[in-house]
Amino acid sequence: MFIKVYVVISFWLIGSITSFVQAQNQIIQENGTAQTLIFTSGFNEGTEDDNWGNNWDDEEERSWRVSGFVEGALGQFSQDNVVESEQSLSEIRARIDVNYSHQKFELVASADVLFDDVLNDNAWHTRELFVSFSPLSALDLKVGRQVMTWGTGDYLFLNDLFPKDWQSFFSGRDDEYLKAPADSVRATAYINNFSVDIALTPKFTADNYINGERFSFYSPINELNGNTEPEHFPVESRDNSQFSMRISTTKSGIEYTVYGYQGYWSNPVGIHLNGEHQGKAFFPKMNSYGASVRLPIAKGLLNVESAVYNSVEDSDGDKANIPNNQVKLLVGYEQELVKNLTGAVQYYVEHMQDYANYEKSTYFAEQIIDQNRQILTARLTHRAIHQKLVSSLFVFYSPSDHDGYIKPMLSYRQNDHWNYSLGANLFWGQEEYTFFGQHQENSNYWLRVKFNY
Amino acid sequence: MFNQIKRYLLAFVAVNLIAPMHTMAQELTNADEIIMQANLVSYYAGDDGSAQARMIIVDARGNKQMRQFTILRKDIEDLGDQNMLVFFSRPTDVKGTVFHVTKKVKSEDDRWLYLPALDLVKRISAGDKRTSFVGSHFYYEDVSGRNPREDNYTLLAEQSTGDFYVVKGEPKDPTTVEFAYMVAKIDKITSLPMEVTYFDKNDNKIRKMEVLKTKDVQGFTTVIHSKITQFSDNSYTEMQFRKVKYDAGLPDSIFAERSLRNPPKAWLK
Repeated sequence: MFIKVYVVISFWLIGSITSFVQAQNQIIQENGTAQTLIFTSGFNEGTEDDNWGNNWDDEEERSWRVSGFVEGALGQFSQDNVVESEQSLSEIRARIDVNYSHQKFELVASADVLFDDVLNDNAWHTRELFVSFSPLSALDLKVGRQVMTWGTGDYLFLNDLFPKDWQSFFSGRDDEYLKAPADSVRATAYINNFSVDIALTPKFTADNYINGERFSFYSPINELNGNTEPEHFPVESRDNSQFSMRISTTKSGIEYTVYGYQGYWSNPVGIHLNGEHQGKAFFPKMNSYGASVRLPIAKGLLNVESAVYNSVEDSDGDKANIPNNQVKLLVGYEQELVKNLTGAVQYYVEHMQDYANYEKSTYFAEQIIDQNRQILTARLTHRAIHQKLVSSLFVFYSPSDHDGYIKPMLSYRQNDHWNYSLGANLFWGQEEYTFFGQHQENSNYWLRVKFNY
Repeated sequence: MFNQIKRYLLAFVAVNLIAPMHTMAQELTNADEIIMQANLVSYYAGDDGSAQARMIIVDARGNKQMRQFTILRKDIEDLGDQNMLVFFSRPTDVKGTVFHVTKKVKSEDDRWLYLPALDLVKRISAGDKRTSFVGSHFYYEDVSGRNPREDNYTLLAEQSTGDFYVVKGEPKDPTTVEFAYMVAKIDKITSLPMEVTYFDKNDNKIRKMEVLKTKDVQGFTTVIHSKITQFSDNSYTEMQFRKVKYDAGLPDSIFAERSLRNPPKAWLK
């Protein structure tokens, strides 16, 4: 029933956007006369060849720019799941991006109107709303809601503790949505060949973690032998700030970076044992520091990144309800294998400190995890038909957890407007409590159709 | 040494422009020298350069796609390494994408791609230079210049009697390219390659680059309209440049990560 409504709405939206685009083109064509006049002195090729259609679009000259897309997406679980909906994805999304470019500053506003049939939620999501400017010649400031990314991993994040949207990632939404925005102030200073980034998020922004709503997950607290639902997973929110920094430089093509973070675990990995929030999950305090290097080597690219997570509220590792300190290491290599086919591999290890204390204190001795949790990943990307058809395969495999996750995807860009893609998120595992193993029921297939305007 | 060559060359070009009547006598006979000059005028005009560019990509069925971008380029050394930034403004799904390349003559290029939606600075492994540049019929190598060290050149003297030198280039390592040889028609006055045709081993034409229009910009003859045709299906890409400027004084500092996240507006006009 809802789907029908959405289909009607989507056709209406696509229809109105198409006419909007046509109207805009008409305006451009009308303006074209004026533009042609301006360009005649310097450049008039635009009018010589019908191929170019409208005159050269003066994108660079305009202060205001409006663009966006409309996208329909469907996803289906490949087996029964305890979550309410049988569908992992069923939505229509209309994106509008507005840019205002001034000599002194840049204003970016970007929002989605989302009709989400899985969560029965029709919502406005402000994705970006920031102003960026340079108060000093060697200082850039970006203030407002923004997406931030750093680090060298591919789908593996060590020093990038900015919010992620795992629900989007697992459901097959565009990779863009893996990164969730945060209301932050970011300052970047350039000193000699170094750049220094400082990002302050006044109000802690957690990941959009798996909470049992769209996808189920394993939680030992409520049901000892099964996946849980969101109403059984209360989480205490945090209002305090998060602080991230980075210092980086590039010398002879080699990138060196150090990172620091002060805040909380980005997922509710702690459980209150007593007090007014007893039984509720929460975000324990966590500080981290790390470093990375990325360089061309042989015919490819090598990246090495490490991070030390200091779990402040369990510094001795003897509290079963809070994760221990961790040391993380990532090594990655990417290379073009043959023309238009790129291959990449990563090895990741998460070393738990104070392991003896963990073994002693854990409540679930039969679910004990290895001291060194390891993940291997492989990615293959192939481009064909002038890069219009992109096929990619991403595989996570954990030899320590005996589980894995496969993300195949096929994407066809018909032209500058239409894009079609389909793919899957397939999980497997020997146990139902391991990182990927708990998501076996969440395995799904998805399909997306996108119209860019 | 390169600067000397360049000064000589600029003088050569200037003399040709000012007094074309008197210069026809200076015919070149060495293919490597002709190619070196062609490379210099095609990819190293001035110490730096900026231009707005657009491409129209037409497939075999006549379907069209557009790309619009601004290029900033600065030479580290003439005929040597270069820094390049490409800022995309169209179409919608690539708007804000920035491509940063350090072209290296003696080793693999360094390449970075900035994806604004993710705020991600992605480093790209050097890879095959004869793959499509942003989905067009232009290869990376067509945009940044093929390294002359990769080919052996011979001047086809009997075909070089008119306004063009005709030079044949054969790859030293045929396994690295899709063609068996190429034939370039190089303007004797400007040294610009006006047509380059690529052949397979059976002498069939597979691909052709042609210059459709040039313009004098600050004394440098500049290609402002060119086309690459793929003969297997007659699909093609046309590329145009405008607002070409040389010796703008681009600072070295803009060829860095800062420009990816925060494009240097002052230099993009």
